[in-house]
Amino acid sequence: MNFLTLLLRRLVGIVAVMAGVSVITFAISHLVPADPVAAALGDHATDAQIAAFRAEYGLDKPVVDQYFIYVNGLLRGDLGKSIRTRRPVAADLRDFFPATLELSLAALLVSVLVGIPAGAWSAIARNRLPDHFVRVFSLTGGSLPIFWLGLILIGFFYGRLGWLPGGGRIDRFIEPPLSITGLYVLDSLLTSNIPALQSSLQHLILPAFTLGYFSTAVIARMMRSSMLEVMRQDYMLTARAKGLRLNAAVIKHGLRNALIPTLTIIGVTFGSLLSGAVLTETIFSWPGLGRYATASAISLDFPAVMGVTLLAAVIYPVANLLVDLGYHWLDPRIQHG
Amino acid sequence: MSKPKYSTWMMIVSLALVIMTACGPAATPTAAPQPTSAPPATSAPEATTAPTEVSPTVAPTEAPSGAANTLVFDSNIDDLITLDPAVAYEFSGVLVVHNVYENLVQFVGADLSNLQPSLAESWEVNEAGDNWEVTFHLRDDVKFASGNPLTADDVVYSFQRVISLNKSPAFLFTDIAQIKTDSIKAADPKTVVVTMPKTASPQAFLSILTFTVGGIVDSKEVQAHVSGDDFGSGWLLDHSAGSGPYAVDHWQRDVEVLLKANPNYGGAQPPLSAVLVKHVPESANQQTELETGDADIAQNLSPEQIAAVKGKEGVATTTGNSLLLFYVGMNVAVKPLDNVKVREALRTAVDYDGIINDLLSGNAKKVQNVIPAGLLGFNPDTPFQQEIEKAKALLKEAGQENGFTVEMLVPTGAGPGGVAWADLAAKLQSDWAQIGVTVDIKQVAQAELLGSYRAQKGQLVMILWGPDFPDPDANVGPFTDINAHSIAFRNSWDDPIAEQARAAALITDPTERAAAYEAITDYVLHNGPYVILYQPTQLFGLRSNVQGFAWNPMGYADFWTISK
Repeated sequence: MNFLTLLLRRLVGIVAVMAGVSVITFAISHLVPADPVAAALGDHATDAQIAAFRAEYGLDKPVVDQYFIYVNGLLRGDLGKSIRTRRPVAADLRDFFPATLELSLAALLVSVLVGIPAGAWSAIARNRLPDHFVRVFSLTGGSLPIFWLGLILIGFFYGRLGWLPGGGRIDRFIEPPLSITGLYVLDSLLTSNIPALQSSLQHLILPAFTLGYFSTAVIARMMRSSMLEVMRQDYMLTARAKGLRLNAAVIKHGLRNALIPTLTIIGVTFGSLLSGAVLTETIFSWPGLGRYATASAISLDFPAVMGVTLLAAVIYPVANLLVDLGYHWLDPRIQHG
Repeated sequence: MSKPKYSTWMMIVSLALVIMTACGPAATPTAAPQPTSAPPATSAPEATTAPTEVSPTVAPTEAPSGAANTLVFDSNIDDLITLDPAVAYEFSGVLVVHNVYENLVQFVGADLSNLQPSLAESWEVNEAGDNWEVTFHLRDDVKFASGNPLTADDVVYSFQRVISLNKSPAFLFTDIAQIKTDSIKAADPKTVVVTMPKTASPQAFLSILTFTVGGIVDSKEVQAHVSGDDFGSGWLLDHSAGSGPYAVDHWQRDVEVLLKANPNYGGAQPPLSAVLVKHVPESANQQTELETGDADIAQNLSPEQIAAVKGKEGVATTTGNSLLLFYVGMNVAVKPLDNVKVREALRTAVDYDGIINDLLSGNAKKVQNVIPAGLLGFNPDTPFQQEIEKAKALLKEAGQENGFTVEMLVPTGAGPGGVAWADLAAKLQSDWAQIGVTVDIKQVAQAELLGSYRAQKGQLVMILWGPDFPDPDANVGPFTDINAHSIAFRNSWDDPIAEQARAAALITDPTERAAAYEAITDYVLHNGPYVILYQPTQLFGLRSNVQGFAWNPMGYADFWTISK
């Protein structure tokens, strides 16, 4: 199957998923026995204000009508207006998504750069000291609560040593780079803004490590086991028999094959990084989508919750698509069916 | 095999970049140590507090202003939705708007009883048939940040804007002061006359005008940014057009609001030329930033954190009053809560001192009337403290000697002052268990709780109330008048005391008015459907060089009096 067909099939899939997600999320948010207007206007609002607010947001109409109004807007690219922030949801997503994307990509980079070599090393040195070290590291990563790790890292690297900044995306006395992609590191590279680049990278280190530790651990474990599997294959024995040293054989012939199952995990992990960023974002005052989603859910702001859910419904299939393309690159024999 | 090599190189380069920057010196000029001795409030802070030890590797090029001239105020500003004075009605919005706009009249510092001139140098209240006429004489030297002079037209436009937009704070004008858009007139460029019916309280109106909703906007500037029929509220959402000591530089959502000194401000220029209200949702980080000196004031520290930072070098703590009342509403439509003796028994069985001293570590004031300390008519009497036998006797007189079971709605999370609602509820549950009353605690999100409470579906409801404007009527009205569709309504309490409360609101003589409120609140204390638990204290951590910080119980501080 060629690339174009694959892309088309995936696109149809995304639309179907979005339709399903929109119905389910809409239904759930309207079945909740609480009133989003009370949440938005608080304790003191008068009945007249509440009625006006309901009319403004169309909440006075039957649920089915509300759904069709919503879908109608959606087809025109209008995600509705957030009840909590009183802004178009699309504008909110545009503000908050790049921050989360940047953090997740950085965390993914950390986990891939650390996890894959660590896993491979662990497999090569099976049952020896490096292997034990990596396994303990992975076990810890898999079991440490993120908020605890984040607070400890801040307390130590920022509070005690003062080596790294404590929170936020960039130093408060440095202007953020001109927004092109919304990713500060990328934008400051594109605009050759060195102070912004340095500051935004410094601000990324602790949150990226905090968020990435768990996935690093998962990737390292996956890489270890798939590498062990690959090392038992005949072609590896052949390579060794032809006189290649273990490390050379692993790097030349083993790594690529062992990466295939690991890539699947990376794809899944990326999705969970995006959605799992809530705690990291809170601890590091990171103005991202995770916190936006949580705050919206707490105040029953269903247009915002719908917007975030639909965005997630797009991201997961896209991540999967990239993984599929990655398979093909790693092993051209793999056919997409 | 060229592709993999290329990406390998990319990886190596990225890795190197990350490592290089990780090892480099932190580029935060703010890490500079704060001087231990406070500079005098009047001196230019630049010279005395310039960081000496750390030379920042990055020059703050387009920097808002130096760290020494900026007040960094750490707070959780999740609730911020707008900076428009006609719309803002959230804690963070009020805090910012207060420092950006000026009002006709004001309360200075933390005082809420002595009305002072501001944009109006004088004002008078006259009777005119069935109406009150409130006349304001404006100062003639005032300019907005834009440079436009402030005239009576701006006042008329600002007030009409509030009424026409009809957002959260509008009811203060339309319902409490009972004014309409045509009630506000400019008699001449320096005189504004507001006509209000005799059924409304001029005193309450003047108090309302001290609050952010009474902020005067630059009508020319705002009209230049009108879109459709929004009265410029789309633009004022994150811009400002005021005459206050500061102007909004920018608001980056969920990150910060930066205020810069307004060069056209009529009063003395504030000692600190910029204020950064920084969004730090996690209180542990507020604590760390305070300890490192990156934050000057931290707003959301818990009592434990306040205890932890006390005595640390360079850190001080302070308290502020609030006007909040924590209370339990008793729905009199639910038997046996309809019996006044049962309600008195519940009030008598609560261990108020235990709640304040143990649960709140003393960070609250024992208040039992519906007017909080700080407002006119506050009655400091606290006749209730746990008396189990007396409470049991009251239940017996009510024919409930075997006790009863009742449900209590309780919000999730923690209330202001840091105590978890659930802990407070558990304490009451055990207190009332001692007189045979079984309480089923039902904990729900506050939004859901309010839905039930508004619909009179609660039995016992634990919640808090803060007045909308600094006047006793802002509490006595909602707590007594069923027609106000507020607290009395939610507890189905229909009592003739409401008439006395309406009359008291209209009394213009303060002494007479205070006496009237004393009688009313005493009646509500013993007959009303409320157990008032306490009035919490606000806790702040601040750098010890910060001077001139005073928290106003209405939920803001005058940033322009602060120096460091």
